[in-house]
Amino acid sequence: MSIKLEHVSYTYMPGTPYEKKALKDVSLEIKKGEFVAVIGHTGSGKSTLVQNLNGLLHPTEGIASLDGINLADKTRDAKMARSRIGMVFQYPEHQLFAETVYEDVAFGPRNQGLDYDAVDARVHEAMKFVGLDFETFAGRSPFSLSGGQMRRVAIAGVVALDPDYLILDEPSAGLDPGSRNAVFAEVMALYKKRGIGIVMVTHSMEDAAQFAKRMLVVYQGRILIDGKPGEVFLKEKRRLLEAGMDIPEVYKLADALRAKGMRLPNDITDAKLLLAEVKKRKGLK
Amino acid sequence: MDPVIDVQGLKHVYTDSDNNQVTALEQIDLQIMPGEFVAIIGANGSGKSTLARHFNALLLPTEGSVKINGMDTLEENNIWKIRQQVGMVFQNPDNQIVAAIVEEDVAFGPENIGVSTDEIRRRVDDALRIVDMEEYRTHAPHLLSGGQKQRIAIAGTLALGSECIVLDEPTAMLDPKGRSEILSTMKRLNKEKNITVVYITHFMKEAMQADRVIVMCRGRIMMQGAPKDIFSRVDELEKIGLEAPMAAKFAYELRKSGAKLPQGIITNEELATALQ
Repeated sequence: MSIKLEHVSYTYMPGTPYEKKALKDVSLEIKKGEFVAVIGHTGSGKSTLVQNLNGLLHPTEGIASLDGINLADKTRDAKMARSRIGMVFQYPEHQLFAETVYEDVAFGPRNQGLDYDAVDARVHEAMKFVGLDFETFAGRSPFSLSGGQMRRVAIAGVVALDPDYLILDEPSAGLDPGSRNAVFAEVMALYKKRGIGIVMVTHSMEDAAQFAKRMLVVYQGRILIDGKPGEVFLKEKRRLLEAGMDIPEVYKLADALRAKGMRLPNDITDAKLLLAEVKKRKGLK
Repeated sequence: MDPVIDVQGLKHVYTDSDNNQVTALEQIDLQIMPGEFVAIIGANGSGKSTLARHFNALLLPTEGSVKINGMDTLEENNIWKIRQQVGMVFQNPDNQIVAAIVEEDVAFGPENIGVSTDEIRRRVDDALRIVDMEEYRTHAPHLLSGGQKQRIAIAGTLALGSECIVLDEPTAMLDPKGRSEILSTMKRLNKEKNITVVYITHFMKEAMQADRVIVMCRGRIMMQGAPKDIFSRVDELEKIGLEAPMAAKFAYELRKSGAKLPQGIITNEELATALQ
């Protein structure tokens, strides 16, 4: 099971003076069960990339497919395939629209043609998943909730679709650290329990380092780097900075400690490991 | 010296969509002095943005008072002067662009208050030079990067003659390069032009660079002080949904394990030096 891009190029407004080539000959396979972070500066082409992955945009050249079904086709199969790839947009709380939380979460499954009981079951399950108590929240207006709660309602709406793949655009933008951790706890639970594939667009190197197993760096419409976050941050620092990206704090702290003469292993990729190493060097328990 | 922003006993109550009376701010006393760089941090819903909107009379006190350079925001005759003196920059750069060309966008403010053509020209040129966007003068703003768009918004407040700029999470939607562009622009304006800066952010790394940090919690000011005093309170910050910088957390953990470290370590360099 995988989403595949084969030699995909995408051009906005072709044949006009505003023509812009946003993706250039990208080939890529994302398997179910992967957790992929996509990073790149504004205008690098990462949003165009993920919109080609879920069939919101269709390639100008090349093919985007899910399990061999071309996402650009007009067949029933292609429509089904597209509905298996859920997307949570940036600031999803801005897309809530219904009068109650229940109605908002039920909108997707109802459109999939499920009957009343099936929809109801999906709504219960999805709300439970994102930690919104059914009795407390189902009847409330989504607009009376806090920002973090609204974002969880929006995520519940996508979970209720029961997708095989989930694309998240900047899931932590504008959230305080506590709400960010809560949102990611839900995303990770979804990832682990259902084994879905996750593609996360982010400007946060910390999010990419902490959660993703694979990282794509998009630069000028191409995939500049494709690798494990730990390895990329260790080995590709120069190219990352050139692409307008950054490295996570733990790498910077390790570098600062090394610069002052502390001898540390080269492959430190998370804060717990670094703390343990520092304690060891300083003879602390 | 008199404060630019003087808040006394501020309370803000609003009615939500379910017709409940919600107290968003309570017992706020705060003075911000000319030339200060103040960061405001706090969890979502803690009242940061509500407070910021009182600084240029976008919101008005339910109780208490807010004075800008001595002018009360409740006095209707003061409002336009206050809004010239305190410029606002919001989170989403795309919501703040009004014109199709960069220099026209920056000129929009001064045009609206009847500044003469020559003076507008001078102000726009100055403002674009200060934010380092001169070469994009004749570009279309919607084709710029997020960081560039935010710098155009900052230039707009400068052209209006603002002495104080309030930024509400200006970097939340930006990539790492855009984030550092905005912070360094504001630090430069603060140092070189003595612009008073109020900077709301979820990025503790940004707040660390302010002169003073104000921590909001449930509509009140929970603590305030120099970054090194605030950010070494690792436990208290975590309890209210915030996070201390990594170096401060390390210092905290190492002390618990018996390391003797000086107080107030918040940067990587400070920690590395202390452990040398």
